[in-house]
Amino acid sequence: MHKNWQRSLAARHLLPLLRDCRHALSMSLADWDDTIRLARQARLLGLIAGRLKETQDLWERIPERVRGHLQSSINFSAHRLQMVRMELRALDKALPPTIAVVLLKGAAYIAQNQGFARGRMPNDVDLLVRRTDLDEAEAALAAAGWAAETTSDYDQRYYREWSHELPPMRFPGHALEVDLHHTITPVTSRVRANDVLLFSSLQAIPDSRYFTLHPFDQIIHAAIHLFQDSELAGHLRDLVDLDGMIRRVIHAESDWTDLQQRADQHGAGRYLCYTLRYCGTWLGTPMPQLITLQPPSTFVQKFMDMILTRGTLPRLPDTPPSLSDRFALQAGVIRYHWLRMPLKLLAGHLIHKTMALIRR
Amino acid sequence: MSIKYQTFDTISRSEFSSALQTSSLNLDYGACRVKVMAGGIRFEESFKVVYRAFRFTEDEPFSDFHVRLHPGSLARRLIRPTVHFAIDGVHPFDPFPLSDALPMYEWGINWSFAQRFNQYVLLHAGTLALGDRAVIMAATPGSGKSTLSAALMLRGFRLLSDEFGVLDPETGNLLPMLKPVALKNRSIDVIRSFSDDAWLGPTFKATRKGDVAHLAPDEASVSAVRQPAKPALVIFPKYDLGAELSLKPQAPEQAFARLAFNSFNYALLGPISFAAVADVAASCPAYELRYSRLEDAVRCLQDLLFEPSLTNA
Repeated sequence: MHKNWQRSLAARHLLPLLRDCRHALSMSLADWDDTIRLARQARLLGLIAGRLKETQDLWERIPERVRGHLQSSINFSAHRLQMVRMELRALDKALPPTIAVVLLKGAAYIAQNQGFARGRMPNDVDLLVRRTDLDEAEAALAAAGWAAETTSDYDQRYYREWSHELPPMRFPGHALEVDLHHTITPVTSRVRANDVLLFSSLQAIPDSRYFTLHPFDQIIHAAIHLFQDSELAGHLRDLVDLDGMIRRVIHAESDWTDLQQRADQHGAGRYLCYTLRYCGTWLGTPMPQLITLQPPSTFVQKFMDMILTRGTLPRLPDTPPSLSDRFALQAGVIRYHWLRMPLKLLAGHLIHKTMALIRR
Repeated sequence: MSIKYQTFDTISRSEFSSALQTSSLNLDYGACRVKVMAGGIRFEESFKVVYRAFRFTEDEPFSDFHVRLHPGSLARRLIRPTVHFAIDGVHPFDPFPLSDALPMYEWGINWSFAQRFNQYVLLHAGTLALGDRAVIMAATPGSGKSTLSAALMLRGFRLLSDEFGVLDPETGNLLPMLKPVALKNRSIDVIRSFSDDAWLGPTFKATRKGDVAHLAPDEASVSAVRQPAKPALVIFPKYDLGAELSLKPQAPEQAFARLAFNSFNYALLGPISFAAVADVAASCPAYELRYSRLEDAVRCLQDLLFEPSLTNA
C-alpha cells in the first residue's frame, strides 16, 4: 500500500493508540492535545478512554487533564448506551412478539456486549424486519407513538421505493431515532445482499426477543455499509468496528475461507478485500495466511487508497483541507452516489435536491 | 517575592493583536484552559478590560478547547459584518453582528464547557468562597444569580463562577470556572453603582439576552483560579423587589431536588451525579434567600459562611 497515510497526523498517535493502548505511555501532553481532538472527530474518544481505563496501571499514568476528557467521554457514552437499552425496551413492548426483530450495527454490538461497543455514542437504533413484516411493524410503532420526522412526500417516496429503510422515526421526547430496515442494502444499489441467506441464519440474543445477523453477515454488512453506503469521509470508526468483529469471530484459517465465501454469496467480496486492506494496514488486524482475495485493478486500488487516506483518517479542523484533499472527498461523494443508484435515478434525485435547495 | 508575569491589563494592544493573529492566545479558567484564534475580529479593547487580571501566556502544551472566532465569508463581511464561533470546526450558533464578538465568545465557552465537561457534575449555580469554604447559589436564569455573585466578589468573596457549580465527583470539591460575570439589563447599572472597584466592559445593546455587560474577575479570584474549594453552604437566591431579607431553611431532600433540577448534566451522569449531589445536600446547610437589597444579602451570606454551627438547626 502506498505510504501517504503515514504522513497523516492520525498515523502519529491515534492509529498506534488504537492498535495498542499502551502507546499512551510514550505520549507527551502536547501529543494528547492533537490526539484528543482527532479521536473526538472520529467518534473514537469513548472507545480509547474505555480501553485505557480498564488496562491495569495505565490510567494513573495518563496526565490528569487528559484523563478528564477521557472520563467525560466514558460518562457520556454510558448515558447513550443506557438510552439505547431504554429504547430497545420500549420498542420490545410496541412491536408484536410474532415479528422477528433483528438489531443492526451499534444496537447489535451493544446488545451483544461487544468490546468495541463500549464508548459508543449512538444517535439511533437500527432495526431489521422481513419485508413481509414491514407494514405491520411500522403500523405497530405508529400506533405506539413513534412518528416519522420527515413529512415531505418526495422524501417519503425516496425512502420507501429506493432505500432499504423507512424514514427515521422518533417517539416524542426520546433521545434516539429508530431506523426500520427491511434489508441491509438499498434496493437500487449495485451490490445487493442475499436476503434469504441473511434471514436464514439469524442468531438470538440471550435473554432478549431480539436477533442479530450471523457474525459473518455482521462483518459483511459493516463492510458494505462502509464501502458502498457511505461517502467514506470520517469512517475510521467503522474500520475499528470491523477490526473488533474480525478479532472476535475469526480464529482459524477455515474461518477466513468461510467468511470469504459468505461475502461472495452476498456479492461483497470486493468490500471484504478493502476491509482487510485498510484494517490490516491501519489497525494491525490479523490477516489470512492462505486465502487470496482478488484485489481490484491497480487503478481502482490507487483511487481507493487516495480517497480512504485523505477522507477517512480524521484531521484537525483548523486547517482547511488542501485542494487534493477536497478532490479526494468529492470523489468519495461521487463514488457513493454512483454505487447507490442507477444513473437515470441519480440524475433525477440530484435535480430534485438542487431545485429544493434553490427554492429554500 | 512573586514572579512578575504579564496580564491582559499590562500587555500592549499590539502584542495582544499579534498573539490573536498567530493563534497562540491561551486562557486559564481553572476547570478548563482554552486556546483562542480570532484573527480579524477586533475585540481586543473590550477583552483587555474584562480579562484584565488574567495571565497572558503564549505557550500551552494542552488546551481543553480550541476555539476560533472568525468573520464570515467575504460577501457577508461587505454586506453585514458578522462573527462566527467555532469549536473544532463545529459552529453551534448562528453568527452575531461583528460588534458583539465578546458576548458571542463568552456564550461559546459556556456552551462548550457544558457540552464537553461531563467528568464533572455541572450545577447551574454561582459559586463563591471565603477561604476554602464555598457557597453554591443555584437558581434558574433570571433569579439574579449573576448580580449577587458580582456583589459578593466586590465585597471580598473569591469568585469561582457566576454560572457553573463545577463539582468533582471524585473529591467532592468545587472547581473554579472563572469567567467575566455576564450582567444583564438593569443589573449593569446596579453593579456599577454598587462599587467603585467594578471593572465593567462595554455594554452590548439588545443582544439575544437583552443588554449585556461583563464584570472583570478581581486579582484575588484570578490568582486562586487553580484552587478548589469545599462546598459549605447551599443557597437558592431570589431577588424580590421591595422585600425584606428572609431565609427559609431547606431540608436536605428539598435541597437535593433543587440542586439536581438546576444542573446541566444531572440526568446524563446518572448515579455519579446522584451520589455527588446527595453528598452536598447532606453535608451543607441550605436556605432559600429572598432579598431586595444587595448589601443585606452580602452580609447575610458572610454570616452564614463564617458561622456554620448556627445554621445546622
